[in-house]
Amino acid sequence: MSELYNFLSDINILTLLIMVPLAGSIITFLIGKNIKAAKVIPVVFSGITLLLATLMLLGFDFNLAGVNVFQYEEQYDWIQTLGVTYHLGVDGISVPMIWLTALLCFLAILFSWDVSNRTKEYMGLMLVLEVGVMGVFMSLDYFLFYIFWEVVLIPMFFLISIWGGPRREYAAIKFFIYTHIASLVMLLAIFAMYFVAGGTSFDMIFIQEASASFGLDFQVMVFLALFFGFGVKMPIVPFHTWLPDAHVEAPTAGSVLLAGLLLKMGAYGLIRVAIPTLPEGALELQWLLIAIAVLSIMYGAFASLAQKDLKKMVAFSSISHMGFVLLGFATFSAVGIAAGVFQMFAHGLITAVLFMVCGVMQHIAGTREIPKLGGMAQKMPIYATFMMIGFMASLGLPGLVGFAAELPIFFSFANLGGEWNWWIILPIASVAITAAYYIWAMQRVLFGPLTEKIDTRHLHDVSWYEAAPLAALCALIIFFGLQPGYIYDFIRPVAEALSALVPLGG
Amino acid sequence: MTDYTAILPLVALAGFAILAPAVRALSKSDKATAVWALAGIMLSAFFVVDFLLNNPAGSAVDYMGVVELNSFSALFMLIFLSVATYVVIASMRFVDGEKHVGEYYALIMLAITGMMVVASSLDIITLFVGIELTSLSSYALVAFKKTNKRGAEAATKYFIYGALSSAIALFGISLLYGITTQFSYLLVPGTSPLTFENIGIAVQAAIGTPIQPILYLATVMLIAGFGFKIALVPFHMWAPDVYEGAPTTITAMLAAGSKKMGFVALFKVFLIGLIATKSDWSLLIGLIAIITMTVGNVMAVSQTNIKRMLAYSSIAQAGYILIALPVATVSDPSVAAYGLAGGIFHMLTHAFMKGGAFLIVAALATAALGENIADYKGLAKRAPLMAFAMMVMLFSLAGIPPLAGFASKFVLFSGAIDAWRLTIDNEWMMWLAIAGILNSALSLYYYARVVKNMYVEKGPESRIKVSRAMAVAVGICFVAVIVIGVYPEPFIRACLDAANAFLGY
Repeated sequence: MSELYNFLSDINILTLLIMVPLAGSIITFLIGKNIKAAKVIPVVFSGITLLLATLMLLGFDFNLAGVNVFQYEEQYDWIQTLGVTYHLGVDGISVPMIWLTALLCFLAILFSWDVSNRTKEYMGLMLVLEVGVMGVFMSLDYFLFYIFWEVVLIPMFFLISIWGGPRREYAAIKFFIYTHIASLVMLLAIFAMYFVAGGTSFDMIFIQEASASFGLDFQVMVFLALFFGFGVKMPIVPFHTWLPDAHVEAPTAGSVLLAGLLLKMGAYGLIRVAIPTLPEGALELQWLLIAIAVLSIMYGAFASLAQKDLKKMVAFSSISHMGFVLLGFATFSAVGIAAGVFQMFAHGLITAVLFMVCGVMQHIAGTREIPKLGGMAQKMPIYATFMMIGFMASLGLPGLVGFAAELPIFFSFANLGGEWNWWIILPIASVAITAAYYIWAMQRVLFGPLTEKIDTRHLHDVSWYEAAPLAALCALIIFFGLQPGYIYDFIRPVAEALSALVPLGG
Repeated sequence: MTDYTAILPLVALAGFAILAPAVRALSKSDKATAVWALAGIMLSAFFVVDFLLNNPAGSAVDYMGVVELNSFSALFMLIFLSVATYVVIASMRFVDGEKHVGEYYALIMLAITGMMVVASSLDIITLFVGIELTSLSSYALVAFKKTNKRGAEAATKYFIYGALSSAIALFGISLLYGITTQFSYLLVPGTSPLTFENIGIAVQAAIGTPIQPILYLATVMLIAGFGFKIALVPFHMWAPDVYEGAPTTITAMLAAGSKKMGFVALFKVFLIGLIATKSDWSLLIGLIAIITMTVGNVMAVSQTNIKRMLAYSSIAQAGYILIALPVATVSDPSVAAYGLAGGIFHMLTHAFMKGGAFLIVAALATAALGENIADYKGLAKRAPLMAFAMMVMLFSLAGIPPLAGFASKFVLFSGAIDAWRLTIDNEWMMWLAIAGILNSALSLYYYARVVKNMYVEKGPESRIKVSRAMAVAVGICFVAVIVIGVYPEPFIRACLDAANAFLGY
């Protein structure tokens, strides 16, 4: 226990990480009449949150690891009749996610510096979103978890429907209802686990420990419900149809948070709740998980290849990349789980760059249609650099962060052996398709003769508030690409413990 | 000496009600009459709270075996009195300048008295008298704005449907009377043959005898009779018209109060009187619950008038509450009590969120805003507080955390899951929860549409000024929805106590 750890525990760091953005959003809503204040206050509050999250990262105790070993824990009574407590805690899986949340929210708010339409509402909602995502990654009580899970929907609904693209109304309501149904199915599964575990506590740790007595049929059924609930959020094919609409219509910062954080919530739920609580059910359904993972990977890749809209291409590539997360988890091996979590982290960084790049293009050129663009690198060299780093990282170039996640996933899947031996060809092949659509898109957008289909006289390079977040993210992509160990150190011990829960081969 | 504790709240409210027109005539002030009504409500609430504070949980006092004050009836009395409070406060502005204001308040208080009688009744005749007291007062209240054609039409419709349903229910009751007198030697000596307890004994005895078919007929009549009052599908056709045509404060009372009374009646008759034949009706009630919520939600989607939309949403909510009835029939006491508590809790929260939503409509209507959903465009700019309150009410109705509607749906739906995992023959109860959550998701569509109109769409720029009385009434509901949502513990506790008292555990 370091001094920093003790200090952070004393100041209830986890509650602070929720309260600071919450306070920021309330203040923004109240005194946001002044446009300048409506921008500065959110930047300050999300900046403080990022600072706190970084401290939490530094104070983390690597000696404590295992299933149900949590740090910075806080627990208070809340609804005694139902056995609900306000229970927060983090382990090696949630810590990188929390830091990612703080980072992306800060950068997304900075990136939105030029939002002039209803600025205070926009910024306030971004901070509410941060509250919700933070809460999901640190809740250790199902009731609390569910509340944060749902809190995320409302700001995103407004972000899409007020600041979104032309089809925003349809996209917003589709996103809202689709993901709400999924949440409710998850809630039913939670009820079932709660009652079978004795009906006395909604505590995740309690239910996880009581789950040894769950019968196999029950485990399979509840796992399916949870898998649906979390899978829609990830998203998995065939429940992905809300994603392209929501992503394409959302404002850029909204897309960044949607892809960078909201999709991670689904994957996080799987690894935090579904797999450790229902290991036998998970094992029984391993074939389904792998099949859907491979399907998502392939479908997402092929769909990306066919897109004309840059942003839509990036949106479909998210489906493909989240498929890798699921594939890693589905091996139930320590390597696979660790790499899956690392892929969540990596995809968060990369996809933020990708959506920001798309947003900048829309902003500067007025269109994201790939056929209308061309030769943009001549006019926007800095922009072109960011785009190339983002695309290269996403297609898994060694030395960048995406590669450090994907390689171990292939490794763990290949190690699975048995009837899955030949399946490894499919995800490996997808890498070629991924490379194809990214490089092809880059070639058409950045290189070649300057396009004549749009007015290129007013093209200019990225503004400071766009360049700063992009530069920070690109730096991190390179840094963690070269030093993935910094993050893997957090994840590995927990992944090993989780993997030991699943009775593989027996 | 007779203990009057049980009837003090009823007598206090009825007494103030009867004197209200006189107060109006003497003071010639509408405001003074409203204050008089509030005083009566507060006095009545004082007697209830006084009983709760000075008696250990689970205790009960009855008055001559006719009405009983216990955790269950006390909780419902407080719910009804809360409804009365915000309706009266909102009415201060709403009936400004109308004729017969004294009678208006008197009728509201009498309607609430009737609901409280139902909640505390020990026999089915008292229950029926309570229902009629509420119904007759409500008919007149719906027609309060006499010159309004839609109001008059609504009142006529309400009266005809109401009288018909009362007759049907009464027919069912008379059949039950026939059955109980057959077994009078079994009944508790010295009590009326129509107490719920005695009905339960007689029904148990009637099983397997030649009069059992009469029992089926009685059951059907009672479902139909009470189903009309609660607006269960297929007995719901009157509700949207009446809710739309009535003065909006009265609509709030009908949705938040009268409907709950119908549920209390249904619970008493079925869970105590007819519990022995539960296997005959619980599946039927479960089906009606699913059909009711589905029809209510599907119909609500296509509405353009906000009062009609809320009326259909009320029908859907009645379907959710009805889940509690089959769940409360399971044999495990704690599961049954938990299930019933879910229903009670949802009634409690519904009284505030639906009442609040109607009050906001009323408040905006007095400020000359139309009642079409399209009229709510850009409301967030024109009346930010009202728009925010409306959003909270609607999201609460949809069951979005951390609002009251989420907490109560949480208990309600989990109750069904609890019953499902308990025993094999209750497997179908899982479908109650599944239907409930699918419907909740469907309902989000039309609630979100109103929110979208208020916050996303652009409308006229002019500000809307809402009167202070209206704002206070909305504020009560708003605070209740937030507080119950964030800290539901004491409310769940109270509902569990009530359910235990009701089921006699």
